[in-house]
Amino acid sequence: MVVSIKDSVKLAGISVICFCAVFVCTFFINYCVDAAAVADSVTQEMSALYQGQLATAKFSCALSGGCLSLIAFVMLVFYIKLYIDGHGRQLGILKAMGYKNGEIALKFWVFGFGVLIGSALGCGAGYAAMPMIYSQMTVEGLTIPVKFHFWLPIAMIALPTLVFSALSCGYARFALGRDVGSMLKGEIKKSKALSDKKLSEQNKASKTEKPRAFLLDMGIKTLSSKKMLVFFIAFASFCFSAMVQMGGSMYDLNAAAMGPIILAIGLVLAVTVMMIAMTAVFNSNTKNLAIMKAFGYSARECAVTIFTGYIPFAFIGFGVGTAYQYAILRVMIDLFFKEYSLIFDFDVAIFFITLAAFTVFYAAVMLFYFLKIKQISIKAVMAEN
Amino acid sequence: MIKAQNVYKSFNGGRIKVLNGVSLEIARGDFAVILGASGSGKSTLMSVLSGLERADSGTVCFDGMEISGFNDKQLTEFRRKYTGFIFQQYYLLSHLSVENNVRLGADLAGNKDFREIIKAVGLEEKCKRKPSELSGGEQQRVCIARALAKKPQALFLDEPTGALDEQTGRDVLDYIVKLKREQGFTMIMVTHNENIAQMADTVIRINSGRIEEVIKNTSPKTAYEIGW
Repeated sequence: MVVSIKDSVKLAGISVICFCAVFVCTFFINYCVDAAAVADSVTQEMSALYQGQLATAKFSCALSGGCLSLIAFVMLVFYIKLYIDGHGRQLGILKAMGYKNGEIALKFWVFGFGVLIGSALGCGAGYAAMPMIYSQMTVEGLTIPVKFHFWLPIAMIALPTLVFSALSCGYARFALGRDVGSMLKGEIKKSKALSDKKLSEQNKASKTEKPRAFLLDMGIKTLSSKKMLVFFIAFASFCFSAMVQMGGSMYDLNAAAMGPIILAIGLVLAVTVMMIAMTAVFNSNTKNLAIMKAFGYSARECAVTIFTGYIPFAFIGFGVGTAYQYAILRVMIDLFFKEYSLIFDFDVAIFFITLAAFTVFYAAVMLFYFLKIKQISIKAVMAEN
Repeated sequence: MIKAQNVYKSFNGGRIKVLNGVSLEIARGDFAVILGASGSGKSTLMSVLSGLERADSGTVCFDGMEISGFNDKQLTEFRRKYTGFIFQQYYLLSHLSVENNVRLGADLAGNKDFREIIKAVGLEEKCKRKPSELSGGEQQRVCIARALAKKPQALFLDEPTGALDEQTGRDVLDYIVKLKREQGFTMIMVTHNENIAQMADTVIRINSGRIEEVIKNTSPKTAYEIGW
């Protein structure tokens, strides 16, 4: 029908997020289970570190697994909504022919396919990284052997796939609950018509108010029309800031091997989410940009209008990420490793290096989309219709 | 005003030849119709004449400027100053109000009287509405206001009535011609409709990327006199 496996392949961002979540959870859960199996061998001297390592694993697993699953879900909802908006006419025809919303929604189970790929790869990578993680999370005098638990890969791969497939169908069922007419007309969503009284009031007000310049209004409306993208851009910046700084701080905390893992996950997440969000901003404005260019607006004016509004949110995300990583490390050290003389202070040098790297990264993304705007032509947009 | 000489344009690395040595001349203040069947190259010709696209070879001059030699930046500046567009599919910005769609054009020309234009196209009472809340004819009138608000010297129209019913189509055409008479801009319309061509001062018939004939019309008809 309308939804195919090919469409689910486009969910690369969700696959990447699931990869990261399952990767982290696989080795930490395995570690917790293996560590619990040798609990009887833990002596009084080992107990504090043992409990600290176990708590770190549980805490990291719950935090990263939980947060990333939530983000993956939000992204899934966002993608399904975009998909239904973009395929309104085809889906509307199915509804007009008599297909029930539930019947159409069931076809959205294929969106779980992206989760399956990400989870399978993440689980494999988690097993590959396990020996190295175990060597980092040692307890002096205690041997924690790496053991294979058959239920873990099933839980890490099948469970997220099933849950996300079910959520896809459920949300699609909800999102399809629009009238057929508006879907056939290709309307993005039902725009509430203003009452004559309200229109009359607005018109009266508009005659006295100072009108907002087109570019300013266009920028504001672009930003407010897809608030979810603001969240994704802020989240990508958050990931970059939090995980790069946290990765750097790990060296100071004698957990050098964890540093590159956290840093790599942070960069992968930040780049993936940022590119998905920016691509969505770009794609949803292609026609508008084409008409602006046809009328004589320069590519620079177009890029500034569409993308500038997101900059403050990107740096707010960066700021929150900085505070978050400091708070998390502070809490972990104070709660789980208080008996060890670990010195941890806010690393100003790492902060400024990360800020500079983030600024370069963000500028590179802007430049990439500026070049894409330069290539838009009204002819190409007309040919699509 | 507009002079094209030996213009060639192809797509897909030269495999699809769309314009094959087009030469034409359109005088200032003229209403020219480029008439041709689907796939004849009329829309591509309009794109080349209006600076939306560059020709592969040949020259296009606008008011003495050789726009075919312009780079992207110069073409942008050219379109900004001299041209206006009205498309069959409207291409209105769906999330902006009528007023702000018109401002898209008005701001480029520093035109503060854009509300007068909205009033002139009869949409004063609907200036806060979104395009989806308007009828097809009203949306096309927003496009007219948007194009005219930037005070173009040349207005390019690509099948402007293609998506409208007969009565609305006649009203829109009548309105555009009336504005042209008042403001004196040059008008270049692309259409496949032989009847609409009877309204023009000049009819340029195109077929397979070549100009077949250019007819000067001494007694153009009005929108209400032509067949549909």
